[in-house]
Amino acid sequence: MTTQTESNCVNCPVHNAAHLKKLGVNMSDYDYLVALAGNPNTGKSTVFNSLTGLKQHTGNWPGKTVTRAEGGFEYDNSKFKIIDLPGTYSLLSTSKDEEVARNFILFGQPDVTVIVVDATRLERNLNLTLQVLEITDNAVLCLNLMDEAERNNVEVDARTLSKMLGIPVVPTSARTKEGIDNLLRSIKEVATGEYVCKPRKVKKMNRKYQRAVDTLVEDLNKNFTNLKNPRWIAMRLLEGDQSIINALEDGSLTAETEKTISENNKFVENR
Amino acid sequence: MNSPVILLLLGVLILALPVFLFHPKKGLIALLKRYNRDAEKEKIENALKHIYDCEYREHYCSLESIAGNLGVTSDKSSSIFDDLEKRNLALTGNEGIKLTAEGRDYALRLVRIHRLWERYLADETGVDPDQWHIDAEEKEHDLVDSANEIAEKIGNPVVDPHGDPIPDKDGQIFKLEGKSPLDLERGEIAKIVHIEDEPDSIYAQLMAQGLYKGMQIQIVEKNDGKIVFSADGKEVVLASSFANNLTVAPITAKEEIKESFQTLDLLEENQEAEVVGFSGRIRGQQKRRLMDLGIIPGTKIKALLKSPFNDPVAYLIRGTTIALRKDQSEGIFIKYA
Amino acid sequence: MNNVKEIVNKANVLRWELGENFHDSLIEAIYKEAETISKETVKFKGENYSFSLDRTIDKYVTSRLYGFPIMLILLALVFWITIIGANYPSQFLSTLLLDKLHPVLKDFALGVGAPFWLVGLLIDGGYLATVWVIAVMLPPMAIFFPLYTLLEDFGYLPRVAFNMDRLFKKVGAHGKQALTMSMGFGCNAAGVVAARVIDSPRERLIAIITNNFSLCNGRWPTQILIASIFVGALVPAQLAGIVSALAVVSVALLGVFLSLAVSWGLSRTVLQGEVSSFSLELPPYRPPRILQTIYTSLIDRTLIVLWRAVIFAFPAGLVIWSVANITIGGEPLASYIINFFDPVGILIGLNGIILLGFVIAIPANEIVIPTILMLTVLFTGSAAGHENGVLFELDSLKDTEQLLRLGGWTLLTAVNVMLFSLIHNPCSTTIYTIYKETGSLKWTLLSTFLPVGMGLMLTFFVAQIWRIFSG
Repeated sequence: MTTQTESNCVNCPVHNAAHLKKLGVNMSDYDYLVALAGNPNTGKSTVFNSLTGLKQHTGNWPGKTVTRAEGGFEYDNSKFKIIDLPGTYSLLSTSKDEEVARNFILFGQPDVTVIVVDATRLERNLNLTLQVLEITDNAVLCLNLMDEAERNNVEVDARTLSKMLGIPVVPTSARTKEGIDNLLRSIKEVATGEYVCKPRKVKKMNRKYQRAVDTLVEDLNKNFTNLKNPRWIAMRLLEGDQSIINALEDGSLTAETEKTISENNKFVENR
Repeated sequence: MNSPVILLLLGVLILALPVFLFHPKKGLIALLKRYNRDAEKEKIENALKHIYDCEYREHYCSLESIAGNLGVTSDKSSSIFDDLEKRNLALTGNEGIKLTAEGRDYALRLVRIHRLWERYLADETGVDPDQWHIDAEEKEHDLVDSANEIAEKIGNPVVDPHGDPIPDKDGQIFKLEGKSPLDLERGEIAKIVHIEDEPDSIYAQLMAQGLYKGMQIQIVEKNDGKIVFSADGKEVVLASSFANNLTVAPITAKEEIKESFQTLDLLEENQEAEVVGFSGRIRGQQKRRLMDLGIIPGTKIKALLKSPFNDPVAYLIRGTTIALRKDQSEGIFIKYA
Repeated sequence: MNNVKEIVNKANVLRWELGENFHDSLIEAIYKEAETISKETVKFKGENYSFSLDRTIDKYVTSRLYGFPIMLILLALVFWITIIGANYPSQFLSTLLLDKLHPVLKDFALGVGAPFWLVGLLIDGGYLATVWVIAVMLPPMAIFFPLYTLLEDFGYLPRVAFNMDRLFKKVGAHGKQALTMSMGFGCNAAGVVAARVIDSPRERLIAIITNNFSLCNGRWPTQILIASIFVGALVPAQLAGIVSALAVVSVALLGVFLSLAVSWGLSRTVLQGEVSSFSLELPPYRPPRILQTIYTSLIDRTLIVLWRAVIFAFPAGLVIWSVANITIGGEPLASYIINFFDPVGILIGLNGIILLGFVIAIPANEIVIPTILMLTVLFTGSAAGHENGVLFELDSLKDTEQLLRLGGWTLLTAVNVMLFSLIHNPCSTTIYTIYKETGSLKWTLLSTFLPVGMGLMLTFFVAQIWRIFSG
């Protein structure tokens, strides 16, 4: 098992082995960890199946994958482990599903987070996308259901979208496996650091709230040297999120340290 | 004994037994529980809260006011006070009865759990507003030790649903700023920042008028004895003594007033409108869920389909068809595009 | 760590100053950002065909006039295909596994010199109960689940929830409970799992706890058998079929009614304080992929449920054989238990044999009737054609009736068996599933004992009133 001690190793996996173990993910046979996030009903499980070759049942229903599904694939001589997170509209509320997805991205620190969106309803799906980009830098947008978009005269400019979001955008039609190869390549590129993401952060917040966030970010940076996403943490603190407070206290947010996570910090799904 | 008639009667009796035992208010178990509860401890705690309240509002606190607040005789109230004094929780001085540092600590812990529990009920359950306070009055004596747990679960709130600050776990508390609506001028616009929940009778009246924290009001008329203001498009008349239980803060011009807006449930099929905001009835979990679905100020919304019973109604919201129940759509303000 | 505390305190000061709208403001900002991005990257060039097609379909399936008829027709169709379609494979499996393979296995085992008790325990007990459950359970499930899944994949089911929501709202439940209930008609364990689609915790719990009132696949045969023997006999022969079918349907409807009533009660008592929020998305219709659906629903639902049932049925078979064949002082173990149960059984219009049957058959409702028949033979000493202490079913209704009447059955017994079969504890598979889904012992126990209590009560009252009127 690889345990990272330096953060400036560009080609190394960035996932946090110690925390992953706590989350119940065994990384001993894999090089990279991929998380799959997305709104309900975007064909997320179909993408999961195309990547892994598994046949998981996917109903035309919001919120189908409640338990976490895991799979693996090999691409370009690297082994990837992929975790299918519950489909959610957001990561900011308090439902069980959202907590599972949010904590996994935050504490598990996957090497790549693939965000599956419905190309026909991009605007609504960008809500979750932007939230994920607040937590993690390493993401790929999978613009799924392109066939349906085409049929319905919806055209999405993937290049501009990629520029605006600062992450790779891959159009796919997972049902017919179109674009899956490109998706694999992008995942690999982001995982290895070949593609350096510069994700877009939300700017248009009301001035007084923005100032509050900035103050806290400043304080966080002063006190912690290794925080990956101080903005997100500041925002969570402004909502009084106890799991974040606990994580700050026991150091599980400061990436590479191998501090034990206190037992009361139950971010592992307990279904 | 084996006659079916007798057995039938016996059966009915057995069926009635659990009701007799478990009825939440009048059941035997509830009665026993109430009887068994440490009545003395509760009296002391309530007295502490009363003294704290006096200090917070800068009222004069005496044995009489304690007696009045707890509904006990003055003999009883002085014996309660003796007890407090003996335990070094309160003392008398020139300015009436005061709390000691320890007493304040105790009182703040009670206040904390009371307000946290109200917030929990308001945000996470469907319990009616006029029940929040009543339920919290009962729970505060039992739950003191689990305050932190509850706080953590609901995101360590700093304000209760009436607008009162919630002390943190170290007993620090913020001070509420604002004034009585009676101090406003005619035509002035303000936002309700606090609704006093005691006494119950007045609070119930205020709730019945549909007032909620965060509601924007504009003074229409003010004369001795009563005050008239408009709120959410309705005219509300309150006696001065009632209005005094409200605390308001004048608002900056930037915030839009929601008085002239309609609610989403009035939207006809295929009509389109824009979301302006939420009524105070939509809160907590419920509100977060709706916002996640894309219902935020500025969202275009179109009524698509009514279900056979007219409730719920499906709306087109940012490219997705989402069904909302009437009690949800009634709490969403819209303006026609 | 002290600086964490300082930062948290600072955050709290900011929260107090900012008021409560931080969350709202954040979400608004994110959506504004999303709007900006999508404005620059998405072009709509003409009509959205699927959308207008969806609207057209919706117009019919949610209309006041056609909505419910369409729903009922589809549901009836699914059941009809299931019942008709399952008949032949069921019979085939039963002939193969019970009539053909069972004697072969038994002879073989005895032939290689296995002791009598071991052969009895494993083959007459475990094997027989297991294949019995498979023969009764597998075919309907293998037909019902794919059909249901097709409707689900197409996108029709959320519309059913939409149509029905008003009714369920009245009892404090979620419209999607209509779906978990109809899933429960196939299998309660699957219905409990299906409650995952309900995202509001309180309503999900209600759906889980009340699912047992949907008359499941394992209990339909019991209802049909008893109704045809005892209820059908009350009317002239040409009407018997219809009347007994009506009796079964009324029992199922009673289940629906109880399900709603219990939902109402729960939402107003024990579940009052639980979190509640409603949301229902009506997803776009998508053409179902038939082959894949059949494959995945077989894997996902049918086999998993079946596997669990088998795991529970085998030990049940061991128990059944043991109570019938282990003797103490010359009497089989069963007779002691039956004597013990008899007073209660008779009080509620049943008898000790029936109660023991229900207890032994907790792992699988399918084996209630065979167990009762076996015990009746054992007890009455009737030579109904089979060897003692082995599960069986009789080929003709007449024989079954004779045997049951010999066992003391009356019309009251029959009615109460039908009622109790509807209203008793969920099978062990379902109980286990409830525990897994809720993760709570409290709710599992409530879901188990509430229906038993209700069933005992109801049968008790029916029995007393019946006896008063029949003198």
